[in-house]
Amino acid sequence: MYQHYSQNRDNSQYFDKYKSFLFFHFILYTSKYHIFKYQLFSLSHPQPLTHFLLLCYTLFMSSVLKEITSIFHYRELLMQMVSREVKARYKQSILGYFWVILNPLAQMLVMSFAFSIILRIPTNSSSNIPYSVFLFVALLPWTLFSNSLSSACNSLVGSSSLITKVYFPRTILVISTIIAKIIDFLFSISILIIYMVAYHIPITINILWVIPIFFIQQIFTFGLSLFFAASNLLYRDIQYLLGLILTLWLYLTPVIYPADIVPDRYRIFFQLNPMAVIINAYRQTVLGGGSPNYSSIFIALMVSILTLYLGLLYFKSREKVFADNI
Amino acid sequence: MKKPIIEFKNVTKQFSLQSHKTFKEFLPALFMGEKTHESFTALKDISFSVKRGETLGIIGPNGSGKSTILKLIAGVMSPTSGKVTVRGKVSPLIELGAGFHPELTGRENIFLNGAILGLSQHQIKDKFKEIVDFGELWEFIDQPIKHYSSGMYMRLAFAVAVNVEPEILIVDEILAVGDTNFQEKCFKKMENFKQSGVTIIFVSHSLIQVQSFCNETIYINHNSLIAKGTTDTVCQLYQNDQLHK
Repeated sequence: MYQHYSQNRDNSQYFDKYKSFLFFHFILYTSKYHIFKYQLFSLSHPQPLTHFLLLCYTLFMSSVLKEITSIFHYRELLMQMVSREVKARYKQSILGYFWVILNPLAQMLVMSFAFSIILRIPTNSSSNIPYSVFLFVALLPWTLFSNSLSSACNSLVGSSSLITKVYFPRTILVISTIIAKIIDFLFSISILIIYMVAYHIPITINILWVIPIFFIQQIFTFGLSLFFAASNLLYRDIQYLLGLILTLWLYLTPVIYPADIVPDRYRIFFQLNPMAVIINAYRQTVLGGGSPNYSSIFIALMVSILTLYLGLLYFKSREKVFADNI
Repeated sequence: MKKPIIEFKNVTKQFSLQSHKTFKEFLPALFMGEKTHESFTALKDISFSVKRGETLGIIGPNGSGKSTILKLIAGVMSPTSGKVTVRGKVSPLIELGAGFHPELTGRENIFLNGAILGLSQHQIKDKFKEIVDFGELWEFIDQPIKHYSSGMYMRLAFAVAVNVEPEILIVDEILAVGDTNFQEKCFKKMENFKQSGVTIIFVSHSLIQVQSFCNETIYINHNSLIAKGTTDTVCQLYQNDQLHK
């Protein structure tokens, strides 16, 4: 049995069933202000908050797992789409894939000239790390983030001929562009490694932290991408808006400057900006050889998961009318 | 009795047309409480079903909603109300070559398009020779398809689509392309499909093609189903309608 249309509806039904339940608890908590009295996780005597958290967890897992299974079912298509992205990108260009490395390298060289020789932005005071490496560690993941978002934003619009003709999970279009950008990123990391070896920067076991941090970054990126891709299909203003957002976001994230020169009263905004936390964590683990700030990372993880959940919810709710609106 | 392979139950499809395209028009409309979009009914309360192995023709004038029906079957659109049930793998031939990338070679595009139509790598490898044979494209298979002529492009697309081994084949006005030789080949292939029990949905303006190919036909006009029945009676009705306009 093969039904296209049942897939999208299940979540909303699930949500409807619990909507009154959610609302009830919301009223309960706001009226009593007693949230912190409840024990968080006592499954033997479940408290309302435990119920609430479990509910959120189930809601999240049910929608995400459903999407993952449908993507897994179409994994061959996903692979083909990624290879299409990668293969077709630099066709009819002489330097070809070398552009992937050349682009961030040139950016890094010019920016380090501007910000270390002209503007003299300090790096971490304790260790004497050259600004170019300091910048590059942050610039590479930032470029990945910003490239992923802007290409994902256009992924649905660019494949309009497919969307109106063939059925497959639309999330594949978004994921494939992001994976293609990750492949670019992995190539460009090679220069960073060369730099780090050349400047004798010690590499410790803490560098393994990069892996979970990278995952958090991808969760966040994917969630935002889903949102932007789906809304860009409706109004093309979104892609121009995104360009603006990304430019401003770069300056509000400690990429070209270290996080510790941010005045205390603005710190809270940086804590809530997952990219700031992630970029800072890369620096701490790769260059500082330390471990990241656990509570910040936890907040970033939570914000990212929430972003993914909301992004997916929005994407799924719009998916049915993609072909009508394109 | 076996369940029908395609089932439309009271299907209505409405599109919302944005009447205010720019922000300058949109914002005042929002505040003045005007409707920001109008809706347009493309299909009105349509019910029919197709049995496994049947060949169904869909006829009707331009803009009557034929393509919308095909898109509903292919699963790219959902009905506004009512229910569409499809019990089988669909291979859409609606405007061929939708997934082709001009910069990639014919070979790469075969793999890409095969995957879009739901084949695994392994299956495509097995069918590769057959596909290229059918499209008569051995000479150009490693050229980027942007250098293909439009005929070659269509041949490649058709060759991939018919080698998917679909349970339901959707054919929308595509046999107008290619030279007579290739057209004949396509008809022969579709005749083969028909014999082997593939359900075919065939949309055409050429009544002769429909009459020679389909057992059952539905006639759609003004967004509703006018008639469903054997091809000859329905085509007769359609012709009469056209004459008395």
